[in-house]
Amino acid sequence: MNRRTALKQFFVLAGGIWIASSCDFSAEAPSIALKQIKLTKADEELLAELLETIIPKTDSPGAKDLKLHLFVMKMVDDCESPENQEAFLKGLKAVPKPQNNPQTELMSYLEGLPKDDVFLRILKRRGIQGYKNSEYVMKNKLIYELVPARYDGALKIKA
Amino acid sequence: MANLNIDTRDNRTYDAIVIGSGISGGWTAKELCEKGLKTLVLERGRDVKHVKDYPTTNLYPWEFEHRNELPYAVKQENPIVNRCYAFHEDAAHFFVKDKEHPYVQEKPFDWIRGYQVGGKSLLWARQTQRWSDFDFEGPARDGFAVDWPIRYADIKPWYDHVERFAGIAGDRDGLPELPDGEFLPAYPLNIVEKYFKQQVEQKYPERKVISARCAHLSHANQIHIDQGRVKCQNRTLCQRGCPFGGYFSSNASTLPWAAKTGNMTLRPNSVVHSILYDESKGKAIGVKVIDKDSKEEIDFFAKVIFLNAAALNSNLLLLNSTSQRFPNGLGNDSGTLGKYVAFHNYSARISAEYEGYLDYKTDGRNPAGGGYIPRFRNLHKQETDYLRGYAAGFGAYRSSYSDESGLGISLKESILNPKLGNWGVGSHMMGETIPKASNYVALDGKEKDEWGMPLLRVSVDYDDNDNKMKKDYLDTMEEMFLAAGFKNIQRNDAWQAPGLDIHEMGGVRMGLDPKTSMLNKWHQLHACKNVYVTDGSSMTSTSTQNPSLTYMAFAARAVDHAVSELKKGNL
Repeated sequence: MNRRTALKQFFVLAGGIWIASSCDFSAEAPSIALKQIKLTKADEELLAELLETIIPKTDSPGAKDLKLHLFVMKMVDDCESPENQEAFLKGLKAVPKPQNNPQTELMSYLEGLPKDDVFLRILKRRGIQGYKNSEYVMKNKLIYELVPARYDGALKIKA
Repeated sequence: MANLNIDTRDNRTYDAIVIGSGISGGWTAKELCEKGLKTLVLERGRDVKHVKDYPTTNLYPWEFEHRNELPYAVKQENPIVNRCYAFHEDAAHFFVKDKEHPYVQEKPFDWIRGYQVGGKSLLWARQTQRWSDFDFEGPARDGFAVDWPIRYADIKPWYDHVERFAGIAGDRDGLPELPDGEFLPAYPLNIVEKYFKQQVEQKYPERKVISARCAHLSHANQIHIDQGRVKCQNRTLCQRGCPFGGYFSSNASTLPWAAKTGNMTLRPNSVVHSILYDESKGKAIGVKVIDKDSKEEIDFFAKVIFLNAAALNSNLLLLNSTSQRFPNGLGNDSGTLGKYVAFHNYSARISAEYEGYLDYKTDGRNPAGGGYIPRFRNLHKQETDYLRGYAAGFGAYRSSYSDESGLGISLKESILNPKLGNWGVGSHMMGETIPKASNYVALDGKEKDEWGMPLLRVSVDYDDNDNKMKKDYLDTMEEMFLAAGFKNIQRNDAWQAPGLDIHEMGGVRMGLDPKTSMLNKWHQLHACKNVYVTDGSSMTSTSTQNPSLTYMAFAARAVDHAVSELKKGNL
């Protein structure tokens, strides 16, 4: 094996290691790639429960059906300041792991938080943002029209 | 043997060169090409083809990765352009990012730019009010700047001409301060805007509230259909580029029209370095271009050159076009080049609520945005302790709200069942500013950009006149709001840097006297007659009306002049 082949193989090997280390297939990784914040699969599951507590399934889809936790993760990762990201992660880690009845336990935990709690504020704001702007809500509930093709400046509201 | 060398000077020679493809450059190109001139249009940015290059135009809100919000890092990296109201996920690709094209701020100045084919005509707010003799006679009457070399009668036929083609929606209101035009049907005021109009016009007969006039096809005439445009669909997503061609842009209208003649060569990615002046001929012979990507230098030649690079960049380009004859910039015998830069004072807003007409709401969306209050201050004579006056936008909307304080089922129900609130009303000022020698742009002596162009230094600020006018706007609007019975009035002394109005003007002003101005009444450089400047840099004063329509009319009028001069052999 000459030097060139050896080097080539080394790079192939090193590349393989690099690829392996950047793709974490363990159960611990969240289901979307995050750039700034670190979350585990368990964090993601907890976040999904928290959002379902805030916007539950009723006769219409809730937070889990609409995958709002993935939206909130994305927005905290990309659109919040480093200070808010830190406060969000700290708040998330402080949530006690629910035992038997996640929705009830998480509801009483969230209701016990001070109204100005930064974690709660970000969680709710981003959750509501994702809900209102979801395809489901915009197509079925609060209808968004891409092409209204009209303007009426004085529409009488039916009593 | 045939000459296989394609890169001869002949292949780089045209009848006319247009520098810039935005709102005025697009018009210049259309008029030149229609009149049969082989025209090279140079644009420093990338090509943007109508519809094809509007990547976000048909996206629903949920199809945006961040639901139209920009990532934190993007906002942090772009403090200047991030202050622009239209800089969001859906249109960020049409704005210059702060780091891409730096400039030097001697005083805070938010320079908002769109470097692409079509320029800012893709992004503009589409308000199109004519100027009147109250504007053109302003400097002479009130003793500032220099007298405009033209009057309304000079430009009126050209307003007619551009309005018919562009498509302007508006009412014929019969106001001498805001002349009527060749209008498509206006977008109506809504019920509360109409109520405010009645209240104001009853209590202050000299003040008017009219439907804002805008460059939208409320109806498509044959001339618009021929352009491939159809009626505006009330999407109000204009900043993405409109697949219907519902509003006027170079991309939807003038550039495809020019291309259809077969006379236009459009060269994107062409940074114009300078205009070439031939000392022996005593005129301009072409332009020096730096290719944006390869950085290669190429000269192009033409009989006549139109400068439409947008106000401040046209200043930069002339300042950078030096020769033995013009050591301080092309045509700058007067020493006024770069000076007397002015803008519109947008630095105050006021909002309130109205508790009437709660059994009404609006339906659909209004592309005109609502109402417009033409200037009434100091119109016929000087009345206040400041010069000139302001126009104002006025809009009303039926607010809705949902209580989002809860959690769980109650929160969800509340979100899905928003309640109608009071009507919200709001206004913003558009004040005329006084051009002064001390508000200027100049070349930086040291720093250059990656194409070898000196950075532009900008030194533009408000003055005492602006501050007095702002206070009067807030006091006067508050009084009118109270008179209309509006509640919860919020005065917003919303200081913003000059530039964010995106109505920067001047530096290459028109005037009668070559000793105190750069351009004659035909937009020719006094000292180099085959160079025409018809964008915002040519403005002698700023008026209160949005300027773009006037740039279009100026461009068409200047081309008409240039072509007749060429025929006479005068250029």
